Amino acid sequence: MYARAIITLAAAVMLTACYESADVTVHKPGVYKGAKDPLLAKQRMPEQQQALRERFALVQPDR
Amino acid sequence: MARMKFLCDAERCIECNACVTACKNEHEVPWGVNRRRVVVLEDGVPGEKSISVACMHCTDAPCAAVCPVDCFYTTDDGIVLHDKDLCIGCGYCFYACPFGAPQYPQQSAFGVRGKMDKCTFCAGGPEADNSDDEYAKYGRNRIAEGKLPLCAEMCSTKALLAGDGDLVADIYRQRVIRRGGRPKTWGWETAYQS
Amino acid sequence: MKLIRKKAASEVSSGQSRFAGEAIDRRTFLRRSGLALGGAAVATTLPPLMMRKARASMSGPKAGVETKVVKSICTHCAVGCGVYAEVQNGVWTGQEPAFDHPISLGAHCAKGASVRELGIGERRVKYPTKLEGGKWKRISWDQAINEIGDKMLEIRKTSGPDSVYWLGSAKFNNEQAYLFRKFYAMWGSNNGDHQARICHSTTVAGVANTWGYGAMTNSMNDIRHSKAILVCGGNPAEAHPVSLQHIFYAKERGAKLIVIDPRFTRTAAHADHYVRIRPGTDVPIVWGMLWHIFENGWEDKEFIRQRVYGMDQIREEVANWTPDEVEKVTGVDEATCKEAARLMAENRPSTYIWVMGGTQHTIGNNNTRAYCVFQLALGNMGVSGGGTNIFRGHDNVQGATDMCVLSHSLPGYYGLSAGAWKHWSRVWDVDYDWMQSRFDQGSYEKSKGKAVKPMNTKGIPVSRWIDGVLEDKANIAQKDNLRAMVLWGHSPNSQTRGLEMKKAMEKLDLLVIIDLVPTASAVMHDRTDGVYVLPAATQFETYGSVTASNRNLQWRSKVIEPLFESLPDQTIMYKFAKKLGFDEQFTKHIKVNNDEPLIEDITREYNRGMWTIGYTGQSPERLKAHQENWHTFNPNTMLAEGGPIDGEAYGLPWPCWGTPEMKHPGTPILYDTSKPVAEGGLNFRARFGVERDGVNLLAEGSAPVGNEIGDGHPEFDHKLLKELGWWDDLTADEKAAAEGRNWKTDLSGGIQRVAIKHGCAPFGNAKARAVVWNFPDPVPIHREPLYTSRRDLVEKYRTYDDRKSHYRLPVRYWSIQKQDFTKKYPLILTTGRLVEYEGGGDETRANPWLAELQQEMFLEIHPADATDRGILNGQQVWLEGAEGARLKVKADVTRRAARGVVWMPFHFAGHLQGKVLGDKYPEGTVPYVLGEAANTAMTYGYDSVTQMQETKCSLCQIELA
Repeated sequence: MYARAIITLAAAVMLTACYESADVTVHKPGVYKGAKDPLLAKQRMPEQQQALRERFALVQPDR
Repeated sequence: MARMKFLCDAERCIECNACVTACKNEHEVPWGVNRRRVVVLEDGVPGEKSISVACMHCTDAPCAAVCPVDCFYTTDDGIVLHDKDLCIGCGYCFYACPFGAPQYPQQSAFGVRGKMDKCTFCAGGPEADNSDDEYAKYGRNRIAEGKLPLCAEMCSTKALLAGDGDLVADIYRQRVIRRGGRPKTWGWETAYQS
Repeated sequence: MKLIRKKAASEVSSGQSRFAGEAIDRRTFLRRSGLALGGAAVATTLPPLMMRKARASMSGPKAGVETKVVKSICTHCAVGCGVYAEVQNGVWTGQEPAFDHPISLGAHCAKGASVRELGIGERRVKYPTKLEGGKWKRISWDQAINEIGDKMLEIRKTSGPDSVYWLGSAKFNNEQAYLFRKFYAMWGSNNGDHQARICHSTTVAGVANTWGYGAMTNSMNDIRHSKAILVCGGNPAEAHPVSLQHIFYAKERGAKLIVIDPRFTRTAAHADHYVRIRPGTDVPIVWGMLWHIFENGWEDKEFIRQRVYGMDQIREEVANWTPDEVEKVTGVDEATCKEAARLMAENRPSTYIWVMGGTQHTIGNNNTRAYCVFQLALGNMGVSGGGTNIFRGHDNVQGATDMCVLSHSLPGYYGLSAGAWKHWSRVWDVDYDWMQSRFDQGSYEKSKGKAVKPMNTKGIPVSRWIDGVLEDKANIAQKDNLRAMVLWGHSPNSQTRGLEMKKAMEKLDLLVIIDLVPTASAVMHDRTDGVYVLPAATQFETYGSVTASNRNLQWRSKVIEPLFESLPDQTIMYKFAKKLGFDEQFTKHIKVNNDEPLIEDITREYNRGMWTIGYTGQSPERLKAHQENWHTFNPNTMLAEGGPIDGEAYGLPWPCWGTPEMKHPGTPILYDTSKPVAEGGLNFRARFGVERDGVNLLAEGSAPVGNEIGDGHPEFDHKLLKELGWWDDLTADEKAAAEGRNWKTDLSGGIQRVAIKHGCAPFGNAKARAVVWNFPDPVPIHREPLYTSRRDLVEKYRTYDDRKSHYRLPVRYWSIQKQDFTKKYPLILTTGRLVEYEGGGDETRANPWLAELQQEMFLEIHPADATDRGILNGQQVWLEGAEGARLKVKADVTRRAARGVVWMPFHFAGHLQGKVLGDKYPEGTVPYVLGEAANTAMTYGYDSVTQMQETKCSLCQIELA
């Protein structure tokens, strides 16, 4: 909440103190530069997707 | 391919904080770092509602968009993760995130867990799945083990659901019909202007 | 990151403003005021040990190491949630959801989701320690047992066995609880007790005296079948969170949730109908609802005719509680009260849930009986979806109560009569004369004009132990004052009158603390010598059975070996028995390995003696089979469907009649006549005779399915069997054992077997008593609290006269109430729970995952009361209790509190009247969070039947610090 209050405050300051321009800066993600996660390949395997579906059915539904 | 999502049913959330301590337990998240927290609205008066909030694993994640070193990546099933080796701990993602999810522990006090830390949907980081290295930096990788986030799996009232968005929606839809009314989950009105 | 210039969207995102504009919630309030502003703040305020832990604590799973999964049960509350513990090389590395567990279905609350910390935590007591010259000194177990034992034997010689007090725990498992009860019996005193005295003693007494057994009648799971749910004086959303899963199950299918509470609790936030009463007005609100029920003819007349005694006298009392009078006393208007009554009456079966808000009063026994009468009037008893669902507190408080770790009974509620002692002497296979010789042979009180001996008189209850130390010797009905206190798994801050407790602790010759954590008992006094702290193992470091709130016994397996130098409680008991010279009798039929009595042998021993409440059928083998087959139970019925134990109720909820070989399935719902007794059916117990003043007390035209008598009948003994011609159904061996005995004392179980074979409950078939003629108030009536805020009501609703001796001690009532405290102390003071902490909180405040969520003690005060005192939200204030104790705490200004009523959580300790006691703990054991103990400010007041302490209404004043 504290952090959020700062954000809101900052946003408020930006909105009121700055001149109004129709232009804004939009951020677009660049290309991931970090290490390759082996999980990505694993997640593409149908067995893994099936395992997660089965787990969901076992643990999450209302009983 | 699944699309992993969290959903918190505000009609059921009782702010018991099981999700918070389950997360602490599973990943040994240090004091002061909250990957997940429970937010209460209208505290102490009629209409009081609470929801559990963590990284929402956005499709077009603002954190990834603003990251100056491009350390974020998204798995095919929509889990947003990051590489701590690359992260410089600048805090820009904290500005961008609508949910306050990114956390910044003290480097000196908490060693390897420094830089930015956030909910991984229990999917670890880029290190080998369930390696000691991955555990030390990101916590446990339940997804690789074929399990789902522990916060949702341990939720006291099954308010917090996590998994393939379609399956989550199926459960939630059934509840809505059973309750026989308009869903009262937090955020519904904002999303659909109803 | 790529930057692109673009036309802005016209709207500001609504997500953030939604959050930022909201009122501050309790946790934010605490976080802002506390440590959690961010990493930097934490780093500077954490004690050094925390730093080391944070770095060194990576005790999670290791790659490539074999993982073992162990099944256990959470050690916090009595919901009884399943735990899957993952263990690698003897280290507890992970917790998984026990999704196949019949009660919790994988769920946990904050406490349950963090129990692994007990297996890796650093703030526990690690080795035996004693306070010497004001310093904590490490000693060996042998030295500790020898020194403590020698001192006790010396006290025994000069002051008698009654001068040592054995305060046990609801944290014991059943086997340890039973062994502990046996332990102080063989020490030769009834001065032993545990937390049940201060949580549900008024429930046990009130409910058992109404219909036979003093326990939850249905179960958490059975609430699924309720159509209306009334929670009165309880906050399960924080105290029993996983039960909400079952409450919501019913609610989402249309059940109405009604909450009666002085405070707008988190449970109330989910209610369909909320009724805010003034603290201490439970009887008026219940009679107020019943007034509408009688007025509208909503009562179940046939049920009352067949199964209830004394409802006419209740009607007379209820007639006084007109809507006007109810509003005057409780503050609840007619429409609100009537709506609650209507919801309960029109949506049957409806269930009544109560907890400590109802029990902890000077008239607690009146409250609990009024709740029972309410359910009897609606015919809600003995049906699925109905019942009195009394949520017990600690994980094994039901079991420890059943084992009678109490000052007034032997295991199984046999009482303290010569007959009871003879029964247990037979089970223990010890000479009754030897048993008698262990006790003080003097006599200090009379019963019906005859002198009675301490062996047969109720001991001092835990609520009053401080008076046992401080009271003038001449006024105590035993040889001498208490001189040694053993606190074995007990937080002192769960008890009232903190300043007097400090004085009592300082006056003792010997103070022994046996626990996981030192508790406030180690620091709240100014002693410099004569204090010992001994490390006990957790329930995850031993094994055995635990009884959940719904009377079912769940088996726990051992997760890890005891950490540090801690020992399981049963081992510590054996070591003391050996030192004190009765080990031979103590474990006569229990195998002892390396000073550790064998748990299974203990289970089998109580199986042989606990006939009264049916703890006889639950052999270790059967309980282990239930543990192995969690997944076979249907959460809607709690019955196994298929598998090796098909048809049995989960955990064999007591009464599980007869011997284990009889294979009784347990009784999931008490007094349910829709099933044969052999399948878990039952009726009200014939406990109070067969007639009173010419009125029949036995059931009329009502009996469980298959009952061959088909009507009410008295309890079974050898004579009744012979009269009915059923004697020859006994085998020759059974006949030999049953001759001259009854269903409670026949050690063969034959009488029970034959009664059940003919469809009869062994304890007879009677009516429930709406009027308990042997209690101070036979018809439950309202009496104002001792420290009442309403002087105008004192004359009409006056308390009792002072009593000279009750449980060996004088008790004050009117001498307090006649004084007016309201001028100096105008605010009502009440207490309650937080989800993160359990009981006194010493264990949970030493768990950083929980402690981080509640870092500071606070009080809740209504905005108007705060304004009147110039107090702003978050400011430090002084709260002064009506007996003068002063607490320095933070003010949380909130409408959760009613105007004129202040609320505090009672889990904190380690501050005393503004002084921080952190440096007084033994090295490395100070909890992460300390704070003022709410009960320091709570005042005198004890229930007229059980000596339950009054913690729910007192008076106070608050000023800015």
